[in-house]
Amino acid sequence: MNTFIKKMPSRRDGLILGLGGLLGGGFCSALQARELATRKVQAKSVILVWLDGGPTHYEMFDPKPDAPTEIRGSFKPISTKIPGIQYSQHLPQLASIADKLAIVRSVQHDQGNHGAGNHYMMTGAPPRIPVGCGAFVSFHPSMGSVVSSELGAPPGLPPYFSLPSMTRSGGPNFLGARHAPFVVDGSPNSANFRVRDVSLPKELDGSRKVNREEMRQAVDKFVRFADKQVGDPATAMDDHYRQGLDLMRSAEAQAAFDIQREPDSVRETYGRNDFGQRALLARRLVEAGVPFIVLNDGGWDHHTNIFPTLEKRLPSFDSTIAALVKDLDQRGMLETTLVLVLGEFGRTPQINKDGGRDHWSNAMSIMVAGGGTPGGQVVGATDKRGYAACERVLTPEHFSSTIYSKLGIAPDKILYAPNGRPSHIVSNPEIIKELMG
Amino acid sequence: MLFILALLFAIYMSSASFAWGADGLTFEPPVIELKGPGEQVQIRVLNTKGEDVTAACVFKSQDSKTVRVSNKGQVISNKAGQTKIEVVNQSLVQLVTVKIAEADAGSKVTFEKDLQPILTRYGCNAGSCHGKQRGQNGFQLSLLGFDNDFDFYALTSESRGRRIFPASPKDSLLLKKASGQVPHGGGKKLPEDGNAYAQVLEWIKNGQPRSTHDELKVINIEIIPSEVKMLPRTKVQVRVLARYSDGTSKDVTHLAAFQSSESVLASIDAEGLIQSGPLPGEAAIMARFMEKFSVCLVTLPLPETLNVNLPTRIDSQHYIDRLLSDKFVKLGLSPSDLAADHTYLRRVYLDLIGRLPTPEESRSWLAETAPDKKEKLALRLLSRPEYADFWANKWADLLRPNPFHVGMKAVFVLHTWLRDCFRKNLPYDQFAKQIIAADGSTFRDGASVVIRDKRQPDELTTVISRLFLGIRLECAKCHHHPFEVYGQDDFYHFAAFFGRIGKKGTGISAPISGSEEMFFLAKKGDVKHLRTGEIMKPAPLKGKIMEFTEDEDPRQALAAWITSDENPLFAKAAVNRIWADLMGRGLVDAVDDLRATNPPSNPALLDALADDFRKHHYDVKQLLYTIVTSKAYALSSKPNERNQGDTRNHSRHYRMRPRAEVLLDMVSDVTGVAENFPAMPEGSRAMEMWTFRSASEFLDSFGRPDPNQDPPCERSSDSTVVQALHLMNAKNIQAKIVADNGIASKLASGSGSIELAIEDLYLRCYCRFPTNAERDGVISLAKSKNQARKQTLEDLLWALINSPEFVLVD
Repeated sequence: MNTFIKKMPSRRDGLILGLGGLLGGGFCSALQARELATRKVQAKSVILVWLDGGPTHYEMFDPKPDAPTEIRGSFKPISTKIPGIQYSQHLPQLASIADKLAIVRSVQHDQGNHGAGNHYMMTGAPPRIPVGCGAFVSFHPSMGSVVSSELGAPPGLPPYFSLPSMTRSGGPNFLGARHAPFVVDGSPNSANFRVRDVSLPKELDGSRKVNREEMRQAVDKFVRFADKQVGDPATAMDDHYRQGLDLMRSAEAQAAFDIQREPDSVRETYGRNDFGQRALLARRLVEAGVPFIVLNDGGWDHHTNIFPTLEKRLPSFDSTIAALVKDLDQRGMLETTLVLVLGEFGRTPQINKDGGRDHWSNAMSIMVAGGGTPGGQVVGATDKRGYAACERVLTPEHFSSTIYSKLGIAPDKILYAPNGRPSHIVSNPEIIKELMG
Repeated sequence: MLFILALLFAIYMSSASFAWGADGLTFEPPVIELKGPGEQVQIRVLNTKGEDVTAACVFKSQDSKTVRVSNKGQVISNKAGQTKIEVVNQSLVQLVTVKIAEADAGSKVTFEKDLQPILTRYGCNAGSCHGKQRGQNGFQLSLLGFDNDFDFYALTSESRGRRIFPASPKDSLLLKKASGQVPHGGGKKLPEDGNAYAQVLEWIKNGQPRSTHDELKVINIEIIPSEVKMLPRTKVQVRVLARYSDGTSKDVTHLAAFQSSESVLASIDAEGLIQSGPLPGEAAIMARFMEKFSVCLVTLPLPETLNVNLPTRIDSQHYIDRLLSDKFVKLGLSPSDLAADHTYLRRVYLDLIGRLPTPEESRSWLAETAPDKKEKLALRLLSRPEYADFWANKWADLLRPNPFHVGMKAVFVLHTWLRDCFRKNLPYDQFAKQIIAADGSTFRDGASVVIRDKRQPDELTTVISRLFLGIRLECAKCHHHPFEVYGQDDFYHFAAFFGRIGKKGTGISAPISGSEEMFFLAKKGDVKHLRTGEIMKPAPLKGKIMEFTEDEDPRQALAAWITSDENPLFAKAAVNRIWADLMGRGLVDAVDDLRATNPPSNPALLDALADDFRKHHYDVKQLLYTIVTSKAYALSSKPNERNQGDTRNHSRHYRMRPRAEVLLDMVSDVTGVAENFPAMPEGSRAMEMWTFRSASEFLDSFGRPDPNQDPPCERSSDSTVVQALHLMNAKNIQAKIVADNGIASKLASGSGSIELAIEDLYLRCYCRFPTNAERDGVISLAKSKNQARKQTLEDLLWALINSPEFVLVD
């Protein structure tokens, strides 16, 4: 569909207005929306840490010390700050702030490959048709895109960031390119890190910057049709050009991107590696008011040699996430910032012949902190051997409805595809009450 | 007493005045005849000018024990008898006779006939309530009541039968919930004193009867009026009549659901009252009752007094211009002037071959004086090699699979086949046939890759019906399409054509899927109805069931049916798609949503284009030539007072942004520096890319189909901040602008004057000469900054690229 048509009252608007009572939007959701409106908005921003590949529940937040060796693996559980709650041994820093964390151990689903698992967790909807393992698919807008469309952006900044790349199903689907994530690639850990396109090419000195803008004003004689009825796409372009200039000129935006301004001590705490510095950049974006940031961290698909690999990876992961939560807390931002750590699924109970664990969607653990989430708790449980969620069994729908509710978005709100087809943001608006406080 | 006499006199006088026919009201229906209690009819009241004044009337029943009337003119029978209703409009008072006969002996409230319409009308089975996939609070109905058995069972038997309580009907959970006597998430839907409540109660009391198969069926419904001209901010009441299989008809206005295609122009409320907004334009009002539809077309002409000196028609005999002009006259629109030559030049290059003219091409065409220079240009462009790349790229949006799904080589083979089709200008019906009945190897026969991608009969049904019939059947896969005549039976009869696709070789093994697969006619293969599990036989949409022997390929028959001259949808869907590509909006919008409830903006033109296309044996180039040589195509985008609100009748050209690939090629062309794409020869154009999976920040920013989306066919033409930033600051674009072998550098080091260099850049980017003021402006700006010539030209090139005159097709 074309921009100028979008701006005009279109068939789609007709459907939105006219269909409301017919297919959706009726009284039921009106009631729920009202119920939601009376509830407090708990979170203003979300930092979603995506561990791509499917992080193991055994070696992280759901150790099973009483299971047979071939299941429990070689890591030991450790006590946390909260008596009775144990994490696995390579997460000591997170264990020391367990009072700030809620661990959900009982989300399960039926999508055992990366493409489908990512889709289910990132969008709250299962893929409509079976998809291949390496697939990058989207049948439904991702949570970040919905937040972008529902909450909008702070001045001068895009509302949805993904670092350093988009996750498989992190796209906007029918919400359109406007709500695709603003991808910040490159590593904020490198000395010459710059966010793509938000500042003039380096080789242009200050005076050239001014010249180009002046030149553009001198050159641009294109006639605009101001009347809104006309729906001139040139006026939309002008808006975006201005917003782009704002972003380039906005001290806040540039400051948010300029990670070099952080004191070395802070940068060290987060860890001088790509992942650590991205987490720090995410915190800076939250400070600037960005509502949804995804850190897409690869390499969590441990089919082989899971123990030696995690012995190397977990300590820096542990210290980065702990640093992030503590830093947010010290700045008084944790109250309104929801931090989530998850992947597609958990991993198989039986350690395989290559010393790894395979995909396992019957059980997974999700770490939740901040944004009004009561810490020091574990929600739900898997059985003694970690095969499957058995207490308080939850679905990805519960999970995404909870996130939306915390942000003040009604999970059963009806969205319309450009072809007029309505769909709920989440098909089941039930939330995980334990996380709401 | 005196007062009553006076009133009676007044009534006498006014009805007498009606009898004289001078300034009275007329009623639809003139006399109201009802049968038994609980029947309902909507009155429409028209004044002498034929204007609807229903909403401005006051209604009163003379005997409310016999008949009640609402303030909206809804008449509801209580018991047998005869009486009159007083209708007051301003100073006029008139009477309508109401006759209520005894109910038929055998007539009773039944589930299919009475309950289902109520459940639909009050939203019980809507997608947001009990009609959604898992129902609401454990109570699920079929979406919009298309499955009678399911719904009957849900009401009467599920939940241990507590929803219906025959021993004490009023205590049935169904009624207690619906009337809000016990807490109900959906609120109070059927008030206890309402007609719907009474009907449900009656049904429970009588033992919840169902209609038998030979009982009444709805044949069709009619919305009255079917066409109406409205002034801004006025009201029109509609009525809906249902015709039944026994020849009777009944007013079902109160049970119909309404929807407006353009609520801002004309909205309609639940009772069927249309209200026009302040703007001129058109809207289609749809009424739905049970599975039937009817459409009322609302026209809101421009005020006649506005700037009457503007032309009402395009001055041309071309049939496109003529038929568009007919519509302008009807709506009071005035066409814009013709666009300047340079605007047309840039437009037609980008629309036909997806690239800008070179400065030399622009100079020579702009200087040409032949009266048929536009026709000659169109012919030249249609024979250029870029034509095939450009149009194949458009079709790739619709067909191209994800290579992670079907394999790299297969995608490449499909791409090669597509380009070949357009290079040969393969007639469109043959193109369609090759896809619908595709077989052979995915390593040799491009069309077969579509089958490899859409492997199941239901997927193929969705794709083929959408591409070649412009119908969106996918809704009908799971439930009756709510705005369409097609149901699940139609879907699976259609899907049955794809039941006998034999497959050999290696199927999908994502993410590599690298192997070859063959498709052929299998001896057997069944397609089952999703709900009933019944094995379906092939039948065209709303057509007769077809039988095939082992050697006959059902898909060949389907292809023949789809492309036959008797099937009007095939040519219409095709011309509509191409029209939308060139004219910015389909005659039907969206382009693949042709249905009675989404009427074209200009039915006569759609028919004429489709006829023309058939007559020329589905020659796509011929169709393109016809469109671009019309004056309508050459209109300016600059609106006038009498067409600035027009967004669908093509009284002015609608500005568009070219697709991502075209825009990237434009940037490469005007900077003189080509792109390099992975898995493509050096210097390839974006238009020639064979997969969306080649990394390109530019293409992603400008909304090429996201390869991660499935199907990856939604292309976005939204403008975004990311695009603005990318054009301004991207490393890649900066590198092109300042490249040593780039155009700015060449012009700076060349021997020509700065004036000529500026002219060259304007011609490259805007396809026009700079005005003197523009040229002098650039020069004096450069002087004031004391800039080197190369820097000036770089900055100018940057500024040209970053302006809407470059990014948009005007």
